[in-house]
Amino acid sequence: MRILNEEKTQLSPLYSQRIRKLHNDKVRDTAAKIQLKLNHDSDDWGFIWFPEFKFKAPVETDARPLYGARNLGKLLRRFLNEMPKYVNKDSALGGAWVGPMLDRKFFDVTMDVNPEAAAPEDLIACWQKYHTFPGYMGMNHCGPDMSIGLKLGWQGLLEKVRYYREFNAPADTGFYDGEEQVVLGMQEYVRLLAEKARELAEAESDLTARKNLLEIAEMNEHLVTGVPRTLREACQFLAHFQIVDRTYMNGGALNQLDELLRPYYERDTDAGILTDEEAVWYIASLFFNDTHYSQIAGLTPDGSRDMTSRMSFIILDALHYLHIPINIALRVSDKVNETLLRRSLEYCAEDGSGVDYSLNIGAEEGFARNGYPLELARLRAKVGCNWTALPGIEYSLQDVTRCNMAMAFWYAMQDVRSDPGLEKLWERFCFHTRVIVDSIKRGYDKHYEVVGKVTPEIVLNLFMHGPIERGLNASQGVDIVDFNIDGIALATVADSFAAIEQRVVNEKRITWEKMYEVLDADYEGYEDVRLMFANIKRFGNPESLAEKWAIRIRDYFVGVCKEHGTPKHNLPIIPGMFSHGDIYMHGSWLPATPNGRRSGEAISHSNEPDPGFARGLDSFSPTLKANAVALARPGYGNSAPLHLDIDYDMLEREGGVDALIALIHTHNHMGGMLINLNILSEKVLLEAHADPSTHPDLVVRVTGYSAFFNTLSKEYRQQVVDRFLSRKHS
Amino acid sequence: MIFNIQRFSIYDGPGARTTVFFKGCNLKCKWCHNPESISAKRQLEFYPDKCIGCGKCFEVCPQKAHRIDADRGHYIDRKQCIACMKCVDTCYAEALTAVGQEVTAEYVVKSVSADIPYYERSGGGVTYSGGECMQQIDFLAEIMAALHKEGVHQAVDTAGNQPWDRFERILPYTDVFLYDVKAADAETHRRLTGVSNERILENLRKLAATDKRVWIRIPYIPGCNTEEMPAIAELLRDIPVEKIEIMPFHRLGESKYKALDLENTGTICTVPNDDELEKTVREFRRAGLNAYRS
Repeated sequence: MRILNEEKTQLSPLYSQRIRKLHNDKVRDTAAKIQLKLNHDSDDWGFIWFPEFKFKAPVETDARPLYGARNLGKLLRRFLNEMPKYVNKDSALGGAWVGPMLDRKFFDVTMDVNPEAAAPEDLIACWQKYHTFPGYMGMNHCGPDMSIGLKLGWQGLLEKVRYYREFNAPADTGFYDGEEQVVLGMQEYVRLLAEKARELAEAESDLTARKNLLEIAEMNEHLVTGVPRTLREACQFLAHFQIVDRTYMNGGALNQLDELLRPYYERDTDAGILTDEEAVWYIASLFFNDTHYSQIAGLTPDGSRDMTSRMSFIILDALHYLHIPINIALRVSDKVNETLLRRSLEYCAEDGSGVDYSLNIGAEEGFARNGYPLELARLRAKVGCNWTALPGIEYSLQDVTRCNMAMAFWYAMQDVRSDPGLEKLWERFCFHTRVIVDSIKRGYDKHYEVVGKVTPEIVLNLFMHGPIERGLNASQGVDIVDFNIDGIALATVADSFAAIEQRVVNEKRITWEKMYEVLDADYEGYEDVRLMFANIKRFGNPESLAEKWAIRIRDYFVGVCKEHGTPKHNLPIIPGMFSHGDIYMHGSWLPATPNGRRSGEAISHSNEPDPGFARGLDSFSPTLKANAVALARPGYGNSAPLHLDIDYDMLEREGGVDALIALIHTHNHMGGMLINLNILSEKVLLEAHADPSTHPDLVVRVTGYSAFFNTLSKEYRQQVVDRFLSRKHS
Repeated sequence: MIFNIQRFSIYDGPGARTTVFFKGCNLKCKWCHNPESISAKRQLEFYPDKCIGCGKCFEVCPQKAHRIDADRGHYIDRKQCIACMKCVDTCYAEALTAVGQEVTAEYVVKSVSADIPYYERSGGGVTYSGGECMQQIDFLAEIMAALHKEGVHQAVDTAGNQPWDRFERILPYTDVFLYDVKAADAETHRRLTGVSNERILENLRKLAATDKRVWIRIPYIPGCNTEEMPAIAELLRDIPVEKIEIMPFHRLGESKYKALDLENTGTICTVPNDDELEKTVREFRRAGLNAYRS
């Protein structure tokens, strides 16, 4: 049994400077991307933009049609060969991805149309009518098990693909041929990367930098065919994966990172070939490479202990020292290492943002309610911006749907216009919500049948249990296939129902007819009526009408998702309530609503109350918001995040960190899923909002993902500012 | 009558707490930053910057207390206003708001109980503040008795100018007293707060002789009581208390004076700088006192 070293890693000048230079390079590269609007409103990701690199497809040598495993595998192999090979002399690792291969914003690539992939016209019409994001043909959004790759290396993966191609002997070997192309492409890429590092080393005059570049070259030469043997090589292999995963379809899920790397760390330190500061540098270099999502800490499958190791602390230190957008979640349970939790908050206070907090009770017990053992549910790691998945064994397709319940509400309003009534409105709302959910379910049936033929997961398949062994895309080839549906605009709809019940039905301050007139006019000339609707006790106020409606809406949405699986294949549905930062986009399609929201304004976020919700005797407090989010959670283990933006002053005070720890644990026990935390100074935030260039270093957690504040549009920045200031203005 | 329930407060006692603000105070401190807490009655606040000019308040006011003139714009004739709050009911812009609400002890108990899990995790609880919460001793005692049964940690934030028998009524339920000391000299105290401190200090000594935890809170108000600090320190050397918090003056209450049309007596005060606060804390510590800056 090892004694856990919980000390903060101290860096010598060499490693401190290397990590500082990586930070500065990231700030510089981000500034270039901002100018080109290449990472607007999104995760920073880690790509390096090479404006001189052009990629076009199809070209004459490309295999056609340009879809399906074999031909996309060939295309990816060509891309990997042609893309620039990036090596940073301050990084411990080589490589960077240079943009998503199939994104026309970046490259001149046009895929061919597979007639099988067309969704039924009635579904398309339905999705257009309700502005639904159906998740149809969605990619990634499930978690790989990277231990598969670390054990086999690229050569082992190649042999595995070839073995099962021969063993299964399918009539059409396209699936395996495509996978083979991906691995061959990566081996070629890694070899070229090694050559690039060696070339840079020869030209490098600084002896320390030269030594590092040579080490990168040797490491990559080994990894062309060899398996990772050390922590550094394991990190390099993970960086390879991040590069190809992003390049193909912008995948972003990694793994339970501390446990994945712990054996390498322990072996290397036992052998005396690794210091903690070197380990911190390796991890910082991996984070510099990309912002893939990982988890640290969490319970062992039997629930007997927390998995926190020295590696968890190293990862946290790397995140702190590098201080760029990084996506690490800390899984909190009652057995969490309190030093790790406290340190993460101290770093968050110092840096403004840090890890987010994935909560085990909501995530694990919630997932178990779908009929899975709790021991399995404990493995469901937070590997997406707001979502969890079982690494390597679950095709979860999280975060690709949006069922905008506010659109259902708006159509319901039109249905009852000639003969209005509250219960009639509710019935029609339920009708339209069901139509949306059923349309997504039907779309998922078709997705399940065809996605593997069109855009198979040729990268993720290699790191999942089943696809290679069975010759099937991950959507059909893993043990657990379930589909997420995210219901959004909960507070917008709940507040609208409550406003009608209070102002129209109970108080009779306005007639139905007049309300329709006011909404048709988009409140123009009716500011007093708008405020009358807006200033009820909105969702988030305990025991309010809006809270009652939120629960009723949640129950209906969850019920209609769970009552049966997809109609044809009976695939399970797991409801969530995550809107991402898309609240402006979805709001832009929505006419005025009776919660005082004007046409085009944002809808509410996920299952959270709107900013400024607190009314009457109750001032805003983080617990008021947390209680509401926990109360209205969907409850089956999929996303329902809580965003908290805390004033730095609070953390400075005696007991401030303890209070936040209490809040995190309590939200866990109330069934919460995830806490996205920013600890901000009002002065800095408002300065950066007014002129983002004044604080190029400011990193914030937008929703589940973190980003440089200066990469966000004014609307996205406003989202963070509104959340932060709502504690004062209500 | 209360006017605010503030959850997740870390400023009013140990741990994460919910602070219940009682309305009504029998002191009139010149620097008071909660002017809405002084009167025991409901009061009308007016924030002109939120007004949308709909004119409904003029229509519904039975006293014609809403007025307009060229100099002041829309204002409230406070002599006419009977605080019926009919205008508040029609002001959807929330430019007009009622401060203070009569609620039952049951309401408060239910409301603050929602955060019991946070108290249990953080070692926090409920704090009664104000105003002077002990002015409504029956109401206070009823709430505290109910929450005591639930095992909730309870703190009473008081200026101490109360009959001792009121302390005795809530002693069984109170875990910690947050006790204000604003001046050592009786006459200075009277000048700054409107009352002498004799009963306050007598109660403090009695309280310190009980087994209850006592935290002293000293407002540090340049322009009013900073000269009193050495004498306060001297005074507290003989009174066994757990902790002393030095609380600097701030100007956050200014807008509320305007909204209530009250004269802001705090304009004579200035916001202290960090150096003088730190120096004061050091001097208290040198006197053997467990002092902190709040």
